Amino acid sequence: MSGHGRARRWAVLAALVAVLCALPAVVGALPADDADVPAADLRDAVLASAGVGFSGYAVSAGGLTLPVSDQLPAVADLLSDRVQLRVWWRGEDEQRVDVLTAAGETGVHTDPAGTWTWEYESATAERTRPAPLALPAPPDLVPAALGRRLLSEAADDELSRIGARRVAGRDALGLRLVPAAAASSVAHVDVWADAATGLPLAVEVVADGASAPALDTRFLDLDPSPPPAAVVGFTPPAGARVREGRDVGGLLDEAGSRLPAARLPDTLAGLPRRDLAGAPAAVGVYGGGVTLLVVAPVPHRLASALRAALAAAPDAVADERGTRVAAGPLGLVLVEPPGRGAHLLTGTVTLDALADAAAVLGRAPA
Amino acid sequence: MIGVELSKMFRRPRTWTTIAVLNALPVLVAVLLRLTDLAPRPGEGPPFLSAVLTNGALFPLAALAIVLPLFLPIAVAVVSGDAVAGEAQAGTLRYLLARPAGRTRLLVAKLVAVLAFVVVTVVVVAAVGFVTGTLLFDAQPVGGTSVSGTSLTQEELAGRTLLAIGYVAVSMLGVAAFGLFFSTLTDSPLAAALGALAVLVTSSLLFTLDAASPVAPYLPTRYWLAFVDLFRDPVLWRDVVRGLALQGVYVGVLLTAAWANFTTKDVTS
Repeated sequence: MSGHGRARRWAVLAALVAVLCALPAVVGALPADDADVPAADLRDAVLASAGVGFSGYAVSAGGLTLPVSDQLPAVADLLSDRVQLRVWWRGEDEQRVDVLTAAGETGVHTDPAGTWTWEYESATAERTRPAPLALPAPPDLVPAALGRRLLSEAADDELSRIGARRVAGRDALGLRLVPAAAASSVAHVDVWADAATGLPLAVEVVADGASAPALDTRFLDLDPSPPPAAVVGFTPPAGARVREGRDVGGLLDEAGSRLPAARLPDTLAGLPRRDLAGAPAAVGVYGGGVTLLVVAPVPHRLASALRAALAAAPDAVADERGTRVAAGPLGLVLVEPPGRGAHLLTGTVTLDALADAAAVLGRAPA
Repeated sequence: MIGVELSKMFRRPRTWTTIAVLNALPVLVAVLLRLTDLAPRPGEGPPFLSAVLTNGALFPLAALAIVLPLFLPIAVAVVSGDAVAGEAQAGTLRYLLARPAGRTRLLVAKLVAVLAFVVVTVVVVAAVGFVTGTLLFDAQPVGGTSVSGTSLTQEELAGRTLLAIGYVAVSMLGVAAFGLFFSTLTDSPLAAALGALAVLVTSSLLFTLDAASPVAPYLPTRYWLAFVDLFRDPVLWRDVVRGLALQGVYVGVLLTAAWANFTTKDVTS
């Protein structure tokens, strides 16, 4: 065999490997077409996309290590893990979102009368009725839904354009929201909206002082046409365990009637109090947009567990103003004024703002 | 030459011993499952194993999932690592090359024999799994439930199972290509097999690290479990297609490397 032939063969291999290695970089570097759309108009297009039907595959990566992994494991996993979502969206009240795992899936099928949640590995189908408030669920991580929610109260002067990029093989126009409230712990929220339909294709939430997003959810595939109703609907299969889910609406009503109505100030951490449909009167909600602060009374038994969880958090800040924990942009503090019930303060505000709010609550008359 | 290599592969007792050992683990798992009635908790254990208690016809899939992470790639690495290096170690390689057929044809014949071993092994694991599953558990003759909670007819279930068997076989081709390439580099079959296994262990480890996520889509083990996606409804083709393409790339590159090396190698044994 000649040395020339040998060199030629290895050259063929080297060229093949070089082409294969370069392919992903070449595809990733494809330029996106930007459009001359003002930020406020792009926000309006995003908010008007609620009726756009689509199907797709999205991945969400969360870095919110909530100190409630024992009490609310599903919520903690959703916001702290990499979650693969398969989405079929016909409208706000008719959709299907599957959370995929290596060995199964959890399907959340929403229709106007409620939600079916299918767990493959336990072969369980749970029916839940609609409620005005609910814990975070897989559909909340869908970029289209999250983007609309985060921009829903954005003022014009909080918004700016940040160019365009390719997301899920489509041109996406960038919109940056920088909250105006001084107390906000959110540095900025970037929403990348489909140039053709206004659908948010990617959302990144970056906390104050952080370089990486605390929450990053994006489509990898998107088909902007309404999926068939048969794919979205759900009928429990034969042999499945069927059960009723927790009656959240009833729980909220019960909480509203049982919780002692505390006298909460009109302003906390510089944020005005606001109404939130469905929230019990004893719960105070402050702020707007992506800067929100919630004050909720906590039963004694739960307060003990929460106090221990907060104290055990590795990055807890403890001083005379209380023990405070930040999970990305989300801060938590437990206020226990002597002789009065405990209150949990949580929201997307800085730890200093949280401490100020806790001090005000500690001084407030019962 | 291909016929000779195939005949050599399947006349060896150790080929069938390897396949038998591979089947022992799923059968043991099935017996334990039948005796204890304890299914793995959600999120734990191989895919489909918890569903086997209600439908034994799914056990071929559980059996494949049980052997897929370790046993099956070890067997494929050992057989493919032995392909050329085994001849060299036994001192028969130079006699094989003395025939006018040429080195490229010998490499192709070895490759075909390894592929046949992969296909036969996967089919036997699935077949033994089916027999074990239907004997030990209740099998639903009317079909089953997809991972997404929809009903599948018996034909749909059988069709998707066949696709899954094919996909698992293709997933092993990358391992076979690594083994065959290393087999052309060394005269030691053990070194070639260990080389292929080292690649797989590295790939499996990197797949679990967040820091390695930029290279994750290119790891040879990345899409192995995507056969589960064939049982979602509608079928999720995304990772299946990527898995097939990735195995194709590895096989293409490594066989080109094996060819580039082997056709000019000095053979002394």
